[in-house]
This record gives sequence, C-alpha cells and structure tokens, in this order.
Amino acid sequence: MTPTRAPRELRLVGLICSMAFAFPGLYLIWRNFTSGADPLGLLFIRQTLEPFWRTVRLAVLVSLSAAGLGTALAWCTTRTDLPFPRLCRILLPIPLVFPTFIGAAAFIRTLNPGGLTNDIFASIGINETPELRGLFGAWFVLTLFCYPYVYLPVAARLRQLPGSFEQSALILGDTAPQAFRRVVLRQISGSLTAGTLLVFLYTISDFGAVQLMRYDTLTRAIESNYLARPPMAFALSLILLIFAGVVVLAERSVNRRLPEVKSRRTSQPMTYALGRWKTPAMLLVGATLAFAVVAPTAALIDWAADGLLRTQRGGRPLTIDASKVIEATTNTLSSSLITGFVALLAVTPIAFLVGRYRDRIGRMTHSVVIATFAVPGILIALSLRFWTLRSGFVGDLLYDSMALLIFAYVVRFASLAMGTALVAVKTVPDGLHDAASTLGADKWRRFRSVDLPVMRPGLLAAGGLVILSTMKELPISLIVAPIGFPTLTTRIFGSFEDAFVAEAGIMAVILVCTSALLSWFLVLRRADHL
Amino acid sequence: MPTRLLPLLAILTLFVASCGSSGQLQIDGLAAEINPEKCVENSGEEVTIYSGRTENLIEPVLEAFACATGVSVQVRWGSSTQLALLIDEEGNRSPADVFLSRSPGPVGFLESKDLLGTIDDSVLNLVSEENRSSEGSWVGFSGRKRVLVHNVDLVLDAELPRSVFDLTEEKWRGKVAIPGTNGSFVDWFTVFRDQYGTDIAAKWLNDMVDNDARYYPNNRSIVEAVGRGEIEVGLVNHYYNYQEVAAAGDKHRARNHDLDDTDIGSLLIITAASVLDSAKNPEKANELLSYLLTDSVQRYFTNRTFEYPLAAGVQPNALLPKLSALEIGSVDFDALGGGFEETAKIIEASGIQNQ
Repeated sequence: MTPTRAPRELRLVGLICSMAFAFPGLYLIWRNFTSGADPLGLLFIRQTLEPFWRTVRLAVLVSLSAAGLGTALAWCTTRTDLPFPRLCRILLPIPLVFPTFIGAAAFIRTLNPGGLTNDIFASIGINETPELRGLFGAWFVLTLFCYPYVYLPVAARLRQLPGSFEQSALILGDTAPQAFRRVVLRQISGSLTAGTLLVFLYTISDFGAVQLMRYDTLTRAIESNYLARPPMAFALSLILLIFAGVVVLAERSVNRRLPEVKSRRTSQPMTYALGRWKTPAMLLVGATLAFAVVAPTAALIDWAADGLLRTQRGGRPLTIDASKVIEATTNTLSSSLITGFVALLAVTPIAFLVGRYRDRIGRMTHSVVIATFAVPGILIALSLRFWTLRSGFVGDLLYDSMALLIFAYVVRFASLAMGTALVAVKTVPDGLHDAASTLGADKWRRFRSVDLPVMRPGLLAAGGLVILSTMKELPISLIVAPIGFPTLTTRIFGSFEDAFVAEAGIMAVILVCTSALLSWFLVLRRADHL
Repeated sequence: MPTRLLPLLAILTLFVASCGSSGQLQIDGLAAEINPEKCVENSGEEVTIYSGRTENLIEPVLEAFACATGVSVQVRWGSSTQLALLIDEEGNRSPADVFLSRSPGPVGFLESKDLLGTIDDSVLNLVSEENRSSEGSWVGFSGRKRVLVHNVDLVLDAELPRSVFDLTEEKWRGKVAIPGTNGSFVDWFTVFRDQYGTDIAAKWLNDMVDNDARYYPNNRSIVEAVGRGEIEVGLVNHYYNYQEVAAAGDKHRARNHDLDDTDIGSLLIITAASVLDSAKNPEKANELLSYLLTDSVQRYFTNRTFEYPLAAGVQPNALLPKLSALEIGSVDFDALGGGFEETAKIIEASGIQNQ
C-alpha cells in the first residue's frame, strides 16, 4: 500500500513553497493596513460593484467558451482521424505567447472596420463587420488567448485515457455521445476544471486585452488609481485576490467530488473515424487557428513589412539591429526555460503532497499557488522589491539578480503547471509503486525509476505552459529583471508605446516563431502524451 | 526531460553572461549624430536612470552622454507609472539617481512623496520658467502638444473645430475619441481644471460623455483607430501620428489638426527629468540633465523624434505646428501634483471609461 502520511521533508518543502507564494498576498494585506485603505468600505459602493460585476460576467463567459473550445479541440486532435494532427498540435498552443497589449491591438488591426481583412470580407459580400469592443470584443479575444489553458491539459489526459473504458461502454449499448458523457467527460473532468480555473483567474487579472477592448473591469480601476489614489488601488487589488481565493476554494470542493483518475498504460487510446463530421471538425480547428494565430500574426507581419520596406526606400531607419534582437531573444529563451524548470521543481513536491498523500499542508499550498495567478504582475514585482528591501543582506544579494527574476516569474506562473503536474502524479499506478517498494527500492530510487518516467511527459507539458507564458510576461520583466536585461516582450512594449510599430511587429513575429519552435519541440518530445 | 535540458540551460546562461560589457565605448548611428566626437575615457563613474521614456527615443541620447562624459549609464526602462511606484516602494534606498517621465503626473506623485531632490540652478536656468518646477524638483526636456487627430477621408478640413468646447456640439455626437484614463490626458485635464476651474472642466467632460464621446485606453490606439476610419477624430498628443506616418506613409489616413493657440486643447505637455533625493551621484545626475538640454540633444528631439525642444535657442522642426502660448509650466505644478486625486474622481464619476 502507498503510505498515507507524507514524508516530513516533503511537507517542509511544501510549507516553504506556500510561504514563498504568499509574498504578494501578504504584501497586499500589509499595504492595505499601512496606506489606510478601506477595502470593506469600497466593497459595496457603485464604483467597485459595477466593474466587479463586469469582471465576473466576462470571466464566466470566457471560462465557459474556453472550456468548450479547448475540450473540443483536444478531442478532435487526439481521438479522431483529423488530417494534419501534428501540425495542429504544434500550432494550437501558440496563442499563449501573445502579450495581450499587442495581441489585442493586432486583432483590432486585422478584424475591425477598416482593418486588413476588410477587402477580403468585402470580396465575399460582407461589408459590415462587427467592431471588436466591449464585452463581446473582450470575450472573443480572451477566449482565443485562453483556450490553451484547457486544451493542453485535456489533450494530455485524453491521450493517456485507455480506450478500453469507452469500448466497454459502447459494447454495453451506449452511443458515442453517451460514452463521451458517461466515460470520457468523467475521466477528463479533473484536467478540465483545473484548466478552466486558470482561464477564469487569468481573465480577472488581465489588463492588456480588456483595456484595448474598452471593457471597464476591476483591473482598469486598479491601474488608473495607482498614482492618483494608491489606497484605493491596493484595496481593489485585495478584493480581486480574495475573490480569486474564493473561486479557488470553490473549484477545490467541486474537484473533490470528481471521480478518481484511472490509467493503464498498456491500452491504446481509441480513435474515432469522423466520417461526415470531418468537415465540421476541420472547420472548427481551422477557424480557431485562423482567428487565434493567423489574424494577430497578419497584423504583426503587416507592421514589420511596412517598416522593412520603408527602410529599403530610405525612410526612417529601424531603431533595432540584429544584435539587439539576438540579445533579447536569448534573454527571453534563457529566462523562460530556467523558469519552466524551476517551476517544475517547486510544483512537483506540492503535487505529490496533494495527489499521493492528500496532505493538509499540500492542499493549502496548492490553493495559495493557484490563487496567486490572479495577482496582477506589477503587484508581484512590487511585492518582491518590498520583501527584498526588508530582508537585509539576503535582499541586497538578490537585488538586480537573475535569481530574483526567476523567482518572480515562478511565483507568477507556477500555478499553470500545478494542475497538469497533479494529474501526472495521480497517473502513476499504485501497483507499480508497491511492487518497487516490495522489491526493496528506497523512496529516491522509486522516484527516479518509477515516478519520474511515468510523469515525464506530463511534467514536460506543464513546463511548456509555464515557458510559453513567461516569454510574454511584461511588468515583472521591466521591474524585477537585472538592469540591462531586455527581453523580447520588454522591447516590444518599448517600441509599441511610442508607436514604433515596425520594430514592435518584427520582434513580436520573432516571439511567435520562437514559441512555435518550442511548441514543436514539446510535441516532438510527446509532451502531450501524458 | 529536466536532466537533458540542463546542459542546454547551462550553455545559454553562460552565453548570456558572456554578452556583458566591453572596454572602450564606441557609438554609431543616431548616437554618433548627437555626439560626433571621439569618446572620452571611461571615468569609472556611474549614473542609474529609471526611464519612462522608451529606449527607441532615448537610448541614442544616453549613449552619446556616456561617450561624451565617460560616465557609464545604467537604465531600467519601463512605464512611467510603474517606475514611479517602484521608486516609492524603494524609498531612499532606491538605486536610481535620475527619473525620466513621459508625462508630469508620475513626477508630481514622487514630489508629493518628498522623494525628489533639488536640481542645480545652472540646469534649471537652461529652460524658461514655465518649463521647470518653482521648487527646483523637475525640469522639462522636451514637449508634446495636444492636438485633434482626424481621419482625412471622413472629416473635411473646413469642418474641423477650433476649440475643445466645440466638440460638445451635436454634429460631433459619437465621433470623438478620448483617452480618458491615460496619463497625459489626466495631466491635461488637471491643467484644464486649474485654468478654467473645476466646474467648467467637469461640465465639459460630462457634456462630452453625453455627446457619446468614445473611450480609448491610450493615444496610440486612438491614432491607429482614426487612421483606419473606425472613428472620426480624437484628442491626443501630436507625436504619435508622426510615427504612424513615418511608418506607413499615405496608407495611414489620419492627420493632426491644431486647435486655436489659446485653446486648452493646444496645451504643451512636457516630459520631465528629476534627480532623486536619495541619488548617490547627484553631481553626475545633474550633468546628465544639463546634457539633455544641450543644443545637439534638443535638435535630435525635434528633428528625429518630432518633439518640441525646450532649451533656449533651439528652433522646433519646421514640420511641427507652431507652439501655442499656453504651456503646462505656466500652471502651478505643485498644486497640480496634489490635484490628481480630485481629477481621478471627476473622470471616474463622468463614466467616460464606459463609453
């Protein structure tokens, strides 16, 4: 039998992690006290309730659509005879890498009235396209940015789900949709709810997309009060964080009632022939890729091409050169790869505590890690500066170091790896573990020779999510990074702010290509075969 | 996987580490245009800058400074608001010597927190009285004028208004874009209050909301939307349209329109430099500020970045519309700093952010 009590050193690691991830929350609470903020007083006034309600409405809508879209895409690419499955699997995670401040602007540039697709739509007789703005625009864009949070973990789970379950259901007389509902949906529900939770939390913390879509949420209210009324900004942030905590706890109580994850690695997953559904399935995947990847990339390429042509014709020269681009690309790659690796180191012990030992400390840490995903990046950056200033020589040592930057990134994004890592831990069959321990293997040996090989693809997928997200991170990259450490995203921001659209476009295209390479590598390493 | 990726990570880290600084400074391109002389030997001194002005515009200037003085320059780039928050968080332990802000608001914020030091008189005197702080805590080093950007296909020149007050008329219903919560708009609106009184300014904003003025998050997105013809006109800083035209030429269908010289809609918004109270190297920090105001740098600003020079004796680029009488410095900036909270409340209450 698997031991029910967690090893003490593992619980200690869990405790340390929970403290590290609690930094931003504790900072917010402290700032609320010291700035004389009044979060309770703000809670029930119109200026708070209205944006709060809009935030909730948007988050619910985006969660529902991203969950539906992500699951459908995962099912189509893993369980059916859809053509070009590998290409789809490489391209589908890419929307994760668009920084929303330029991604949303690129959507607008391509799809809005007078945009790049105007002529195309006009040629097929559509003269009026809806303007992307407000609730509809924010919902549309965020769904396309966020579906990978659901798609990746669900695809990983579907690939690993033994086909024998569905076969039994079909033999017993279920139709395919019934089998999906009764068997598949129950088995993927853990990955699905975890992914949907990330979508929800991302949506409530997003600023870039909602502000460009002119949909007034809490983050806009926070952003425009930082300088004018700091106590109000801190109070609203605390309200946001507490709300995130409530949602995380709610998800946990739902998740607890979900069925156990089962796995048997010998059985092949089932493949369904799409038949007459082939065209709709291809349309779904094609339309998703067209809107989520091609549409924003088209605007980026348009900006980049304008700038390059202009330079050719002797107009204003570009302000970037190859060495600057290479520097930013290597910085982006090195910091995000290290972040992915460290995030796995931080998350795996917690996943063990929760998944295998059902440990209380583990569950608490798990909730703290995930709720932190809703804290705006600038507050994570400021909180780290706050804590390093107050930790004496350790702080001096860390200030302006790569280590602090990686730490900040991990605090921001480790939550993305949490759900997938948890499923990975749960898929290690108990029998295998017990057999190893009967054969006298100690726990390290068991971890290395039993757990790690089984969990490897899942952990890779989890690391991939973290890496792609870190590549686009902005406020932490600006505020916490060592001085003189430009990343692609900080360069894009700097150029875009002052309407140097050509420079921004070139570097954003490089960012997308780099992420496609990484995604290709992960697919090659079968990272989605949990 | 982790074990297999480790060597890759190690190599990458080493590579990044080896990309560090080299010996004698050499500059080219725009930086060399500002300072054509040969670089001075490195003096071993250092100035740390937090810059809310972005590297595309300022990096050549700072390179030229390092070359001309031998002082090495460390820069943290970011948004002015976020850097001001960072300085506030760091307090007197901030490593920054100099703060460059793209609009007056963040400087006012730091001034109200007593985090700014006093700039040498010799530097302050390089600009006219309107463009520096009466307390000596900041100095303007370039300007951006407020204008009305308009789509040339949708609005005829003859129809263009002469004052922001015209925009509350029925014929502009639903046609005006306002960057309601953007830093430079907030600064502008604060001056508006100071000049006309809060009642008139607030009434104007409420009338604009009633007239279906449309909210956009920032100047850049307005200029882009007006260029596409999504909306007819917008209240922005003059500067963005120059960059869009430089990038796309005639394909970009928006042009700037100057409101009357005496209209509040023609205000000059300055970008400001200040030395922190906690600066470790105030002498070199002041030297940097005075360098920003030299003829060659001021000429660079007006000819290369299409901004208004502020130092005495440098003429604005002929392409730029002529300057109005009203400049932000003619307003009591210290009162302005404290006035931001009230401005934020009025803007919030107008509901412009939901338009």
